[in-house]
Amino acid sequence: MKTDDLIEALAAGLEPARPARIHPLWVAGAFGAAAVGVMLLLGLRPDLPAALTGPVFWLKALYSAAMAGAALVLVSRLGRPAVSAHRALQGLLLVIGAALLFAGIELALTPVADWSRSWLGLTWSYCARNILLVSVFAAPLIWLGARPLAPTRPMASGAALGLLTGAIAATAYGLHCPEATAPFVVTWYTLGMALAAGIGAAVGRFALRW
Amino acid sequence: MIDREAELRRLMIRGLDGDPVAWRMLLTEIRPALAGFFQRRLAGHEADTEDLVQDCLIAIHAKRATYDRSRPFTAWAYAIARYKLIDHLRRQGRRHSVPIEDADVLLAEHTVEDGVVRRDLGKLLSILPRRQRRLVEDVRLGGYSVAEAAARNGFTEGAAKVSVHRSLKTLSATVRSPGVRHEN
Repeated sequence: MKTDDLIEALAAGLEPARPARIHPLWVAGAFGAAAVGVMLLLGLRPDLPAALTGPVFWLKALYSAAMAGAALVLVSRLGRPAVSAHRALQGLLLVIGAALLFAGIELALTPVADWSRSWLGLTWSYCARNILLVSVFAAPLIWLGARPLAPTRPMASGAALGLLTGAIAATAYGLHCPEATAPFVVTWYTLGMALAAGIGAAVGRFALRW
Repeated sequence: MIDREAELRRLMIRGLDGDPVAWRMLLTEIRPALAGFFQRRLAGHEADTEDLVQDCLIAIHAKRATYDRSRPFTAWAYAIARYKLIDHLRRQGRRHSVPIEDADVLLAEHTVEDGVVRRDLGKLLSILPRRQRRLVEDVRLGGYSVAEAAARNGFTEGAAKVSVHRSLKTLSATVRSPGVRHEN
């Protein structure tokens, strides 16, 4: 095809374009899928109704949801050519920093004898693995939702998408996980999200071409 | 150049609103700049230029919704062109970095990649000591004469000439050496 004809053809079918983004419905759908994954694979925590009335459940959800929000901003920035992602990255680090601070304060208020329990809980050895497992349910929707974007840095964008997936999965995982200490959540939930980001970077290299 | 950016951006925004005439004009306007951009970087494979231009025009069309109206159009278009070029080179299985041109060429050139080049240039210039850097910026970017720039930065005119010459040599050597790559 001649380039002139191509330009003619592109202009002829032009429709108004609204700013590209991951539609919130994809994110909501991904959370729904992750919640279904938790129920199918792991089951809800038996004391869920009681947990819903206390602050700890919601603080955990707040952390992972804030991570998801920061990751979503990062994804949106990286998905726009020539837009810097520095501020979005700072936002992400701010969320992690705030959680670390919170965990540090909680640890300082905990007797030293209880530190290892506060940090490792009863489920540290499979928390991150479970978050990855749940991520598998959320990932297809998130990655499909990202198609309108134009990531010029596939690995970085893949990592951000993986982090978003992991953070959504971690939020859903709170429906199963009975752990209640901030040091635990900051360590093992964050590890699960980071692993998801790592896998996302590897996948992004191949899957995000356009 | 600023006028051209404003003009292209105006066309882009009209295109985003669905104006086919503006869109045809925009694509036609940027086509030669894209061709030049690809051709310069496809040493020995210039025959691929037109394919890449078409690829890039299609990408600009398909991904136009990722343009943010408050930002420079040329930087956005250049980032897409650069991505398409890297993708093309990768597809061909050549381990190839997109070379930065010789510093002299960068300093003289005004093309579609102007805004981004200026940023890359800033990075490049940062390898120079501060006083020399200021001198080079004043002479080659700021439009001062060597005498004026020398006075501004506390050099004698002769010393300034030598310093600028040496700085440019250093920069050229840096962009030619394979160790320095364009960040991906």
